[in-house]
Amino acid sequence: MQGTKVVRPFPFFRAGARASQPQLSKPILVLEDVYKFFRPDQPTLRGVGLSVERGEFLFITGPSGAGKSTLLKLIYRELGVDEGRVLFCGRDIGRLTDKSIPFLRRNLGIVFQDFRIIDHWTVFENVAVALEILSMPQRLIRSRVAEALERVGLAGRGPERTSNLSGGEKQRVAVARAIVPEPALILADEPTGNLDPHLAIDILTLFEEINSTGTTVLFATHDHSLISKRDHRLIAIDEGRVVEAQQGLKHWPGSGIHTLVG
Amino acid sequence: MDMKSAITRARRGLREERRLYIVAVTSLAVAFLCLGATLLGVTNLDAAATRWGQSGRITLFLKDDADPQDIAQLRVVLEGLSDVNEVTHVTPEQARASFLEEADVGADLSSLPSEVFPASLEVTLVQGVTRERSESIATRLAQFRAVSDVESYRSWFQKLDHLLWGARMLALGLALLVMFCVVAVIGNTIRLAVARRRQEIEVMKLCGATNGFVRGPFVLEGMFQGFASALLAVLALLAGYLALHESVDSTLAALTGSRVVFLGAWTLLALLAGGAVIGAIGSAVSVRRYLSV
Repeated sequence: MQGTKVVRPFPFFRAGARASQPQLSKPILVLEDVYKFFRPDQPTLRGVGLSVERGEFLFITGPSGAGKSTLLKLIYRELGVDEGRVLFCGRDIGRLTDKSIPFLRRNLGIVFQDFRIIDHWTVFENVAVALEILSMPQRLIRSRVAEALERVGLAGRGPERTSNLSGGEKQRVAVARAIVPEPALILADEPTGNLDPHLAIDILTLFEEINSTGTTVLFATHDHSLISKRDHRLIAIDEGRVVEAQQGLKHWPGSGIHTLVG
Repeated sequence: MDMKSAITRARRGLREERRLYIVAVTSLAVAFLCLGATLLGVTNLDAAATRWGQSGRITLFLKDDADPQDIAQLRVVLEGLSDVNEVTHVTPEQARASFLEEADVGADLSSLPSEVFPASLEVTLVQGVTRERSESIATRLAQFRAVSDVESYRSWFQKLDHLLWGARMLALGLALLVMFCVVAVIGNTIRLAVARRRQEIEVMKLCGATNGFVRGPFVLEGMFQGFASALLAVLALLAGYLALHESVDSTLAALTGSRVVFLGAWTLLALLAGGAVIGAIGSAVSVRRYLSV
């Protein structure tokens, strides 16, 4: 994962700020003994500890309702932790004020199972929105969006309405929107959940290509067939607890997720 | 907030929600039209009052036994005043004749003797004499020996003042009502727009949009709605004015001596700017309330 990869500097939770060199040498993401409760007696996450290095590709898996999405929501601060800490680039994001949250999210690219793209907008508009938020000049937006669309295999499709695209193409638009601001970390929450197996592999490959340029990727999926095809580090969540596998499913005895947990 | 981006997104919002906004703008234009029509009434009443006030007239009723020399001396004094344009001596016979010609009380008054009508001096003041100055002249003239009574038409002006005050209060009340309507209608329109664009808002928030970035276009859209409503009302009022003023002018000129005037530039500017500002306020309040960003 290292070698020729580029580690990009990034605005650090406020406009114009940059991460210092010591910050860049630390893990990009650390979860320390994190608890999240939706019901007082039943924590969704129980003492989760996790460290993600820069440039890493990490699978997060577990059955539906296990807490994968909750874990990602804690990272992009859709939810706050109840106990423990989530450190992004060394900063405890649980302590960010509401006004700082947008600046945290500008360092993240988020992709969802349901794409979350605007159907009555064009492909270009859907991708450009991530740069308009950064008040980038239109000329730069045009070139950056064109570059992002090319990376996801949609070169020249900018003027098309997204309502006319297939599911796989819509997800590529969502990926383009996530990567266009060149974020430090990409969070993918079941990005292949609505796609057939062939397209799912394509999308996974796309994320791997993005990862190969230095972007850290957290890829949450419950699709074991997908995980079993790759050797990336894997964490499994079940009943709120986390178990790690350093090199994918195939290096673990058995293939079921329950053999990884507890 | 990047203004250029906000304007671009507001334009897109206006395009996408045009049906919703057309309904809102039309309803608000009616409200602004009511306000504009009232303001037009106030403006014309004000213009008439100013005109009447400045083309002043004073009637000096003379004592029956007034010495002709005193009357002549009084005329000389009056004609020497710079504020006086013309002095006419009306004898009891002339007053009787004039009354019989103008009065229409449904009874035969020709048997009335001339002695019933006092002689008078009709004083026409020069243009531009203020009402206060006219009152001051009347007070001084009342002290002359030949004068029994002075009519400065103060009660008429007081009635006109009351009428103007009432019209101004009506306009103020309507302005407040219109302000409330604009805030309510635009607030609700924006609330609907927020609901319809919830997915866009969610996407922007996930991409790191600040509150200002998300709210900006909605505030601009509300501002535009307020401005467009006021503009529409002003144009409708102007069209009505152009269509009717010629026929109304001759009647009004015969009755009051003044002509119909349109709203002044500052009033028009206040209506348009007020529409935009209230629209923006209504939108900002609504967005703050219904958009949890």
